[in-house]
Amino acid sequence: MAKKLKTKEDYYLASQWTLMGRKLKKHKLAIAAFIVLAILYLGALFADFLAPYSLEEYDGIYRNTAPSKVHVMHEGEFVGPFIYSLEKTINREDFSVTMSENTEEYYKVKFFVHGCEYKILGFIPCDLHLFGVSEGSKGGSGAKIMLFGADSLGRDIFSRVLLGSRISLSIPFASAFISLFLGITIGSISGYFGGTTDIIIQRIIEVIGAVPQIPLWMALSAAIPAGISTVKMYFYMTLILSFINWTGMARIVRGKFLSLKNEDYVMAARLAGVSTWKIIWKHLVPGFMSYLIVSLTLGIPGSIVGETSMSYLGLGIKSPATSWGVLLQEASSVTDVAANPHKLIPILFVTITVLAFNFLGDGMRDAADPYK
Amino acid sequence: MKESPETCEVSTSPGFLQKGYSMTALKEFLKKDLVQYIIKRVLMFIPTLLLISILVFFVIQLPPGDYVSAHIAALATEGEFVDADYAASLREDYGLDLPVWQQYIKWVKDIIWTPTDSAYYRLYGSHHNWKFSFAYGRDVWSVVEDRLGLTIGVTFIILLFQYVVSIPIAVYASTHQYSAGDYISAFIGFIGTAIPNFILAIILMYLSYVWTGNANVGLFTQEMLQNGIHLYNFGDFLKRMIIPIIVIGTSGTCGIIRSVRAQMLDEVSKQYTLTARAKGVSERTIVMKYCFRAAINPTVSGLGGVLSSLFSGSTVTAMVLNMQIQGPVLFKALQCQDMYLAGAIVMVQAVLVVIGILFSDIILAFLDPRIRYSGGGR
Amino acid sequence: MNEVNHSENILEVKDLHVDISMHEGTLTPVRGVSFEIKKGETLGLVGESGSGKSLTCKAILGINEKKCKSRGEIIFQSGEMGGKIDLLSLNPTGKEIRSIRGKEISMIFQEPMVAFSPMYTIGNQINEATLLHITKDKKKAKEISLEMMKKVGIANAEKRYNQYPHEFSGGMLQRALIAMALVCNPDLLIADEPTTALDVTIQAQILELMKEMQKEFNMAILFITHDLGVVAKMCDRVAVMYLGKVVESADSQTIYANPQHPYTRGLIGSVHKIGAQKKEDRLFSIEGTVPLAMNLPEACGFYDRCDARIEGLCDKADPELIEIEPGHKIACFNCPHEACKKQRAEAEARIKAREAGEGGNA
Repeated sequence: MAKKLKTKEDYYLASQWTLMGRKLKKHKLAIAAFIVLAILYLGALFADFLAPYSLEEYDGIYRNTAPSKVHVMHEGEFVGPFIYSLEKTINREDFSVTMSENTEEYYKVKFFVHGCEYKILGFIPCDLHLFGVSEGSKGGSGAKIMLFGADSLGRDIFSRVLLGSRISLSIPFASAFISLFLGITIGSISGYFGGTTDIIIQRIIEVIGAVPQIPLWMALSAAIPAGISTVKMYFYMTLILSFINWTGMARIVRGKFLSLKNEDYVMAARLAGVSTWKIIWKHLVPGFMSYLIVSLTLGIPGSIVGETSMSYLGLGIKSPATSWGVLLQEASSVTDVAANPHKLIPILFVTITVLAFNFLGDGMRDAADPYK
Repeated sequence: MKESPETCEVSTSPGFLQKGYSMTALKEFLKKDLVQYIIKRVLMFIPTLLLISILVFFVIQLPPGDYVSAHIAALATEGEFVDADYAASLREDYGLDLPVWQQYIKWVKDIIWTPTDSAYYRLYGSHHNWKFSFAYGRDVWSVVEDRLGLTIGVTFIILLFQYVVSIPIAVYASTHQYSAGDYISAFIGFIGTAIPNFILAIILMYLSYVWTGNANVGLFTQEMLQNGIHLYNFGDFLKRMIIPIIVIGTSGTCGIIRSVRAQMLDEVSKQYTLTARAKGVSERTIVMKYCFRAAINPTVSGLGGVLSSLFSGSTVTAMVLNMQIQGPVLFKALQCQDMYLAGAIVMVQAVLVVIGILFSDIILAFLDPRIRYSGGGR
Repeated sequence: MNEVNHSENILEVKDLHVDISMHEGTLTPVRGVSFEIKKGETLGLVGESGSGKSLTCKAILGINEKKCKSRGEIIFQSGEMGGKIDLLSLNPTGKEIRSIRGKEISMIFQEPMVAFSPMYTIGNQINEATLLHITKDKKKAKEISLEMMKKVGIANAEKRYNQYPHEFSGGMLQRALIAMALVCNPDLLIADEPTTALDVTIQAQILELMKEMQKEFNMAILFITHDLGVVAKMCDRVAVMYLGKVVESADSQTIYANPQHPYTRGLIGSVHKIGAQKKEDRLFSIEGTVPLAMNLPEACGFYDRCDARIEGLCDKADPELIEIEPGHKIACFNCPHEACKKQRAEAEARIKAREAGEGGNA
């Protein structure tokens, strides 16, 4: 896609992907969205390294604390970025708890510090983290850097958002691919064979389309057995989310099939004795792949919202596995949120991701339209 | 397109449309074509209903293990022990010993008609056995019915709000393309469709709490629950509706704005606007008489989708905002794996959406002279 | 035809330009069109697609899209306004121009199938014009509209009045469109390729109808077409347009018998003649297509495709439309007539002077 189309011939011979890429490049908002998504996904991939703490690491004293304040000046002296440890004081009259900074000792923020162990990309053991605080200026320990504050158990929300993004960002993607596969298979059966098969499949698609999405997803979550492993939970969620999305895909595929199956090149392939499945996958599907990718992209925001809302309700991903929806459970009580507004931070991530996918999808839709 | 004048004489469209909107023709039309059309559409409604029921039954069967054992186990954890006879009668009522397809038939049959001599009728006095909800300790239908009216009411208010707000904005945006107002509405529209409902609910609730000291949660105040809604506290009720309307209505409103605007722009560039302009018709009349009139049709046909997304959006939002509609009931049912209740709620919502689609089809038949009823229109 | 020749002009278009501003620059598809139409006569405006015919006639009514800006002068002899007015000076959405549209100047379009809104009955849409310009009395208006529908040959008009466009055939719709245009007895009818989208047999009927109507109402017609056969049948005079300019105008017999501009010659040569057998009689065609009217150099627009071009002249100067015989105008340097020769000499002198100046500077 990087290569430039210099002559007219190049333009005529360019594949639909090259043309799409060219048009997409002009769509500034879509490019910005793509960059944002790339950052988010890279962040998820290297979450262990970027997050200073692990998913479950907690510290009782940090319960519900606001984001750490990063200072640079200690007693009028420049020492670079550092934080103070926190002190709890209890008011003896009304037993209210106030947190204050202990300014006697400072803890420098260091890069590439050793912390909890993890495996890079799942197989290289490592304990390096991008940043963190180690011991204090007077040799003390016990300060933690929590850029987004802590949750009700004293866990670092920044680390949890990063680590949780692995599930939140990959489930919609995985389910999109299952939907793609289901959609192409069922849609092509419907479009290629026609007749009664077509009518039945179309009615089923219509009915699934009529049932409100989130209630149906919620109801389908009943299939997730209690107390299963994280991996299985992940697998179930992916399947449930794909249960609805394939219908849109199948509809597109069927429509395209009906218009393409009488094209000469399909007839030529059939006369040459090519098998039905091969015709479908080799000749027909590439003809409308771009449309599918676009509708896939536009379907992802729905899946993200679905996963987030279900996990938020405790019907989807459940603790100890963590997704953004699970993190938002902390934000369900108004009084709690009012006292600790930093718990709304995961919302920002959900919203940005959903918006970015929408912008990207919109840009791709424009780019895939050959008549523009 | 090129039919000879002779074939035009034999028109395929209904008598009512040929004779204009006069009263006598309308009456005649009501007698013949519309009734025929409605009957046809209602008949098509039956297979849809059947498929929905299969889908719902599939959902009911999802949890591992059988329903009665789960129910008895649940009772046992609460210290209530069930005697063997009761368990056996339950098993029979649910048809658990039958093969799955017979269970399905029995379930449907019981919903349609439960005879007077059945145990269910003696217990609940109803001919429609939707089974028993152990989460609520009542028959399923009574739980569903409890909040059905309010669910429909709230949904209807929000639906109304959506159309009333979005259509004027869309018409403005399309007639002032590329103006500041157009860009603002497009921007808000995009944000509105992108932000998940319940997240908007959390944010608004938070803001409401920070600004007014009251989260404005729940549809009713404590006082309303005691005294019911009257004229004097209706204002409070409307106040309570503000956040739900914004939260649940926004995404749909933005969707309608986008689609009506696009439709209007499509119509504005059509040839017939030029014809009208060449005739000396004013711009305002062109927009209102021609473009808007044509843009209404796709809006009406989108009713089913809007309704579906309303139910979808309101479910989680209702839990965040503690609204007394069906969403929280569904949630509770699912938490306890009270599947017959959950299934009934999903079914009721799906059927309401399908009825919405039916309505929009019928309205469309009134609105669009091109719809030929023989083809079913869609 | 002679008696109308002396009567006054109903419409004079003088040096009309239409600019469309786009991202890439300003497009000028109409670059100084001038012509006039006398009362009761038919002027044919002929040219290929992209020559600016449609934009010109829409500019007369001021119904071009907003991004199209017209300049020049369009003088219309208005009965309503009592005298000559410049249509371009009127607000394109204002009351004055709207009282002229449909009443004094009306227009029929190329594709009758899309010219009506599918949402309203034909009667409603014809009646709209009647109600706007003739009477506010609904009953009377309907009578007038029905009368006109019958006149244009719509059988069973009472029933047809309440039918929708999709129940009409293409030919019938064009009749209805004509009825709508004529219902207020306009002085000028602009017909934008009214028969292009129709079957040949229907075409003939519609043309016949237009002639009849012209006789009955004594109106002028501006007939836009690319079909020279239709021109021969319909028009008193012809203006040939190329790349946003009129390159030749004359009465229709002259144009056919004695075309002077190479483009007109090409056009007439490309009309299929029945009975052509010899190889030399093969259908003539003009090479290439009309160029895009953006950033055009100062040159004859037809230069690239012309078989009579003069190198060093036609690519450096643009000939103006000048009268070579009474009523016959042409814009070409390569023409034996005196007036053309004079223009050519002037242009050559100008180019020489300019080049000398440039050479001196360099």
